[in-house]
Amino acid sequence: MKFLKDVIGWIPSLLDGAKVTISLTLVAVGAGLILALFLALGKMSKKKWLNKFCSGYIFFFRGTPLLMQLYFVYYGLPQLTPVLTINNRFFAAFIAFALNSAAYTAEIIRAAIQSIDKGQFEAAHALGMTYAQTMKLIIVPQSIRRLIPPVGNEFIMVLKDASLVSIIALADITKVTRSISSSTASAMVYIPAMILYLIITAVFSFIFNRLEKKYSVYENN
Amino acid sequence: MSMIRTENICKNFGDLQVLKDVSLTVEPKEVVCIIGPSGAGKSTYLRTLNHLEKINNGKIYIEDKLLDHYENGERKFKLPAHERQQALLDVGMVFQRFNLFPHRTVIENVMIAPINVRKVSKEAAREKAVDLLNRVGLGDKLNVYPAQLSGGQQQRVAIARALAMEPKIMLFDEPTSALDPELVGEVLSVMKKLAEDGMTMVVVTHEMGFAREVADRVIFMADGKIEEEGTPQQIFQQPKSDRLKQFLKSVISA
Repeated sequence: MKFLKDVIGWIPSLLDGAKVTISLTLVAVGAGLILALFLALGKMSKKKWLNKFCSGYIFFFRGTPLLMQLYFVYYGLPQLTPVLTINNRFFAAFIAFALNSAAYTAEIIRAAIQSIDKGQFEAAHALGMTYAQTMKLIIVPQSIRRLIPPVGNEFIMVLKDASLVSIIALADITKVTRSISSSTASAMVYIPAMILYLIITAVFSFIFNRLEKKYSVYENN
Repeated sequence: MSMIRTENICKNFGDLQVLKDVSLTVEPKEVVCIIGPSGAGKSTYLRTLNHLEKINNGKIYIEDKLLDHYENGERKFKLPAHERQQALLDVGMVFQRFNLFPHRTVIENVMIAPINVRKVSKEAAREKAVDLLNRVGLGDKLNVYPAQLSGGQQQRVAIARALAMEPKIMLFDEPTSALDPELVGEVLSVMKKLAEDGMTMVVVTHEMGFAREVADRVIFMADGKIEEEGTPQQIFQQPKSDRLKQFLKSVISA
């Protein structure tokens, strides 16, 4: 009984934490998605320097721990040059997560685009479309449905990785949970916190499933 | 003026030479059928005409305008990108596997290029698309997705889609090879009507009946070369080369 009462008391703080976790994940994955589209197109480009740059970017962000990237954006960049000082913790976390997520999403997008039948490019060419028109009108729209499941997966990964921001003292679910835990000298708060994560994950999984159905209308009726 | 003229087209895939000095001229309103055993280079040749395949040697003219000139793998002449694109707008193509855009409805498939490439207004493009789809007998399928159509219907949409760009030349790359036998006729009859309306056509086909009936000229290709050419009468009744005789025997006995 006491536990339930405690949980009810923790809910408002946990929900505040959830706001930070969810909004960070949404903006980071969203911005990452846009950046990733350019990275993916760049990596498929015939221009050598662009190709190298995008490959290098992806190699770096996938090859180093996100925790270090986050540290470096918040603590390292200001030391490199004061111009790059980011005072807002949320914004710092956003930058690190978006840059990181873009690297993973770029590979997802590249795979989706390359899975589109070559005949689609040929038909677009035969109709006189430029490369940009072909991508915009034909290839990218068809890739979207194939993108949704892996991007949904990436979203949930980021949602959980967002717990890393507690190390720069940003009050996400994990940070709030740890504070409550140390002030009550009990780890019981982890139970509602984990349930909260599960609820959020379940809601977004549902949304991504619906999106996938929505974009499948044209396939095999 | 000729619609298409190629001189000494050669193409290699690695060490394999798939086209050997293919020279061909197609006159306005002419229907040319290219026949031959598989691996003869028929489709590859057709695809070089609108730059789906690069060539290693030769010249390609579309409506007497030089588009490409290579000598032994070295590019001698290249039309600026926008001029080349403009010239290629006069060349429409129909593929073996249809290649319709699966995420767009039938009418959108037909409208998308005129709107975005020719910059035609939506209304005009729609009107034209409805008209073309009626002509190929699919006026009642405007708003369905390609996956809901049979192969023959999809290929007819693909023909309408190509025609919507008002090309002067139509290339057909084995347009009926991916179809169930009972669906071949509906596509061939659309093509026949197109030929009667005076379209310049180059058709790679295994349909000997179509070639015999519709073609003005039949090209027989084997081993990357034009082995023999002539009227359908000459090719089918009086074949000269052994290669062609052998080929005709094999397709007729099949």
